[in-house]
Amino acid sequence: MDETREDILNFLKTQGFLNEKKILQENDSLSETGVIDSITLLQLIDFLESKYNIEIPVEMITPENFDTLSGISHSVMQLKQGDVVSDGKGSSLV
Amino acid sequence: MAKEALSCKKCVLDSRTPGISINADTGLCQFCENFTPLSEEKKEEYRIRMDALLKSPPKGGKYDVIFALSGGVDSSYTLYRLKKEYPHLTILAVQFDNGFISETALENAQKFCDLTKSTYLRLSLDQQALRDTFSKAARSMNAYPGTAKYRASDICNTCISIIKQKIIELAITTNAPFIVFAFSPGQTDAPFVTLTKPFVGWMRKIFDGNLRAMGVAERDAYLIDARLVQSGSPEPEITIIHPFLIWDYDKPEFKKECIKHGWIDPDLKDHNSSNCLLNAFAIKNHLDKYHIHSYAYDLAALVRQGCMQRDDAIKKLNVDVSDPSIQEVQRELNL
Repeated sequence: MDETREDILNFLKTQGFLNEKKILQENDSLSETGVIDSITLLQLIDFLESKYNIEIPVEMITPENFDTLSGISHSVMQLKQGDVVSDGKGSSLV
Repeated sequence: MAKEALSCKKCVLDSRTPGISINADTGLCQFCENFTPLSEEKKEEYRIRMDALLKSPPKGGKYDVIFALSGGVDSSYTLYRLKKEYPHLTILAVQFDNGFISETALENAQKFCDLTKSTYLRLSLDQQALRDTFSKAARSMNAYPGTAKYRASDICNTCISIIKQKIIELAITTNAPFIVFAFSPGQTDAPFVTLTKPFVGWMRKIFDGNLRAMGVAERDAYLIDARLVQSGSPEPEITIIHPFLIWDYDKPEFKKECIKHGWIDPDLKDHNSSNCLLNAFAIKNHLDKYHIHSYAYDLAALVRQGCMQRDDAIKKLNVDVSDPSIQEVQRELNL
């Protein structure tokens, strides 16, 4: 979980989504704190899919799952462990 | 003593832009260092998927595609090529009248709708309210996240977000299965976006927050109808397609092709827009506020991906402060 969190933070920083000085708590809303918007969310999803070789089902892309560091880490862990069953629509990205 | 600015030797970003660091050893910015070009296999996979979607669109409503048409080169070319490659598509082309569209862009849009036998819709909202909103966007600081500030000016982000919200609303209400935006490969990374109700609701919430941060009190007219994302409303069956992530992107060629079909060059002084009179002011406003040229990231990405020469991109980054449209827009927005 911590490793995933670090990967996400690194990605947010290198892509300029997150100011080096900004401290993000586990349950801070990424959209409400101005870190992401709908387009950057798609970039983040793309990064997670490539990094962890997972497919994120579209129905899973909700604020509950992808708007906080803890939500994202948890979702990625579930997907890595194969705990999520997709409805077959596939990912929001290819 | 201030450090000397370093420019990325590959793209057009430099260390004076907030958030950009240039590796002194490689001479590359962090984006060029981490850049992996899209493989031919992946591109082919995308092309096959686009073909599969557009060759047999699910029948639901009157239109197969809701198309965002500005009347500029990119969208005029995309509409033309889309119809050429998929002639059976029924297309509703929507031109958003933000009050600053050039007459030539209006003419070009209608001409290309005639050419492609697409239905033309000029989407208008309360013009005074829009001006107030753009004025608030120009005066706002940090209403959009850091990344959005790199992608476009606050004014353009506001305008594009309104267009997106209204186009998605139109697609839902007309049961259109596809939305097509002619975003350049520098403006988006995702060739396909499948819309789900939670995602659409989330997009609505985020833009509502941006508008609120700018001090816009009356926001509903700019947002997707809330009833469409309420629980109990049907799940949207819509895919957004960005063809320029699948087709090769060659703007000078697109322009030639468009001119061949009657597209008229509006000859604006602004290097970055062939349709909107707000754009030059929006760029200057953004530079003044954040020291970020709102096209730098887009152009840098195009150079990085081999879609544009570095020198051409650098020319486009020159801001002509003598452009009379800048003062005119400033007056019209009461700034």
